[in-house]
This record gives sequence, C-alpha cells and structure tokens, in this order.
Amino acid sequence: MYNSDTPTRAELPTSAQLLKSTIIAIVAAIAILVAIVLPSEYGIDPTGAGRVLGLTEMGEIKTQLAEEAEQDRIRDEQNAVPTAPAAPQQGSNLLDRIYAEFLVGTAHAQETRTDEMSVTLAPGEGAEIKLVMVKGAQANFAWTANGALVNFDTHGDGGGENISYEKGRGVAEDEGVLEAAFDGNHGWFWRNRTDAPVTVTLKTSGAYSDIKRII
Amino acid sequence: MAILSVVLAMLLSTGLAAAHAVAEGDKGYIQEIYGVHLVPFMYLGAKHMVTGYDHLLFLLGVVFFLYRLQHIAIYVTLFAIGHSTTMILGVWFGWNVSAYLIDAIIGLSVVYKALDNLGAYQRWFGVQPNTKAATLIFGFFHGLGLATKILEYDIAQDGLLPNLLAFNVGVELGQLIALAMILIAMGYWRRTTSFWKHAYTANVLMMTAGFVLIGYQLTGYFVA
Repeated sequence: MYNSDTPTRAELPTSAQLLKSTIIAIVAAIAILVAIVLPSEYGIDPTGAGRVLGLTEMGEIKTQLAEEAEQDRIRDEQNAVPTAPAAPQQGSNLLDRIYAEFLVGTAHAQETRTDEMSVTLAPGEGAEIKLVMVKGAQANFAWTANGALVNFDTHGDGGGENISYEKGRGVAEDEGVLEAAFDGNHGWFWRNRTDAPVTVTLKTSGAYSDIKRII
Repeated sequence: MAILSVVLAMLLSTGLAAAHAVAEGDKGYIQEIYGVHLVPFMYLGAKHMVTGYDHLLFLLGVVFFLYRLQHIAIYVTLFAIGHSTTMILGVWFGWNVSAYLIDAIIGLSVVYKALDNLGAYQRWFGVQPNTKAATLIFGFFHGLGLATKILEYDIAQDGLLPNLLAFNVGVELGQLIALAMILIAMGYWRRTTSFWKHAYTANVLMMTAGFVLIGYQLTGYFVA
C-alpha cells in the first residue's frame, strides 16, 4: 500500500536520541529567538548580535513603519468626517465640475509662483512637502539631497484619492514636472536611510496655490 | 474670484494627510533599503521557509517515509537545487508569473506527494513514478513561487544579486530548521505502534490540505 518499505526497529531513532534532539532543538530555538528573531522583528537586541549582523536595523525599520501606518490610520479616521463636504469637487455635479475645471482651474493656472525649501533629516527621519494644486495643474520641480542619498515617494492625495507618481531608493536628486492627477495635495515624501543627517533642498515653480511641509 | 480661490484652497487643504502608502513588515523593510544586506536577507529567506505552510506540507510529504539520513539528504538537496534555480532566475529576469497559479501548483505538489505516499500510482497505473524527479520538478515550481513573492516585495536593483543569493542561503537554512522540527516530531510518532495505522489517514489529510490550497489559489486567480 505504501510507497516505502517498513523500516526495521533499528532504523528508527531510539528514545534517548529523540529526547536529546528535542533538548538541542529547544536550546537552539531560544538562541535563535534571542539573537536573531527578536532583533529582526522588534528591534529588541539583548545580546548585541542583531546589531552586528544588521538585523536590529530591520527590526527598527519594521517597528517604525508599523507606528507610522498606525498614525496614518488614526489620521484617516479623523479626516473621514471633515473631507466629506469636499465631495462635490470630485465632479459629481456638472456645474461644479465646469466651475472647478474651467473658472477656478484657469484662475489657478494663471497664478504661478516659485519657492525654495530645505529640510534636514536625521537618520531614519522622513519629511513631506506638498503643493496645493488643482487637477491638471503643473509645477516644475528639482530637489537634491546635497551629495547624500534619500528614498522618495512623489505622490498626491485629496478628495479621498491617492496616487504615487514615482518612487525611488538611494537617490541623490530628481527633477521634472509634477502634473496633478486630481484636486489636492501633491508633493514629495523623503526618508533618510543613511547613517548621517541629510539636507534636502526643493525648488518648485508653477501653478499651485500653496506649499507646505506636512511632516 | 480671489475669495473663491481662497475657499477652494481651504477646501483642498482639509485633511492634509501624509498619504504615502506605508508598507509594513518584511515588505516595508525591503522597500526602504538598498544595497547589500546579506544577513537580513538570509533571515527573510529562512523565515519564509519556516512560516510557509505550503513548503512545509510538501517537505513533510517528501520525508514521510524516509528514515535514513542519507535518503533525506538526497531528496532535500534535489528540492533545494530545484527551487534555488527558478527562484534566482525568476527574480533576475523578472518572470511575471501569476502567484495564484504557481501557488495552486504548489498545492498540487502536496496532493501529488500524498498520493505517491499512499501508493496510489502503483495501485492505479502499476508504475511508480520517479520520486526523485518529482521532487526536483516540484522544487522548480516552489522556487517560482518564491520568485513571485520577492518580486511583489519590490526589491531594490542596488545589491540585487548578493541579496538574492543571501535570501537563497536563508531558504536552505530555514528548510533545515523546518526539517529538523518535522523529523523530531515524526521520530516520536514513528516509534508508536499506531504510526502505520495513522500514516494512511495522515496522507489523506495532507492531500485534503493540498486540495484546499489549490482551490484557495485558483479562486484567487479568478476573483482577485
């Protein structure tokens, strides 16, 4: 019936062997847990081994991301009510839409402005600068990490919509034209994943009504 | 018009949320880093293997009726060669295979091995398919599954090959750890007189789990 020969009694491990294996397994598991798993998952590193191996950094990043995601969730809940009145702007009503896209849109498109901002990020720190733009508005931008490297996410949000235009890791600079996909806030999130402080300088010019550092 | 603009600006600025989507956990970590990180990737590879119930089920099937360490070593090596090959090639060349279909095939590998253990191929067809070849071939599919997961993680190009190799070493370490756990548990079980009575049922249960995996993944393929 089976795809195997019945083993002889001698081929099976003895009870003493099994017990020994179990004890070895438990001791190994505790060592793996303390030296590897706890640093990697929670940044808890009682032995210091995780720091040497680069695992504690992973645990710290995971913990940080979990906290930030939690903050995002709380912010989303708090914003859920106040953003509701802005709903007609999404264009459900034709008149509103004509008004928003033609009249106001044109008005905004004519207002161009130029700004320059700098933020200094400690290791692990993130910052976000956003432009308040209407749909279709364009802004030229150029930012540099001044000789260092940063991670970035060029993205936008507003009226319940989210978009990520571009992401990058370990990048020294970026430039281009940001075109708003919808009415809202469009801009950059930078994160310093190096060991030293990084200063990011952003230059913008184009059709936006405001520029703000959000984080 | 100026007033309207101000009103509009105010409306737009309500709920200034930091909406850069934050990925958490292993994926979030991988998306934040670049360059060579050998030990963390080894850890992630080992973690994937130890916590991947589909790999564990297949591994359990493979070693179910293996008793001698040298036999176990042969099969585990074949499986490792199989999944290492497709994992590295798949990520390197960015093979865009549906994770659902691959995972359904991994479910199929569990069903196949359970039937093999039950002696079904001998009973039904009068032949015993080569168990080593099957282990290697299903290893290829398990590796493709790993590759699709890594591609989903959006791993950085900077340091890709060393990180992948480290991940692969981790997968082997994880496989050894998982194997050690399975063998200890089976060691106790095999010593009981009821092992041969329950072995049949255990393989049927394993086959059931394999069918569930197939159904789960195929549904995902059509629904998601």
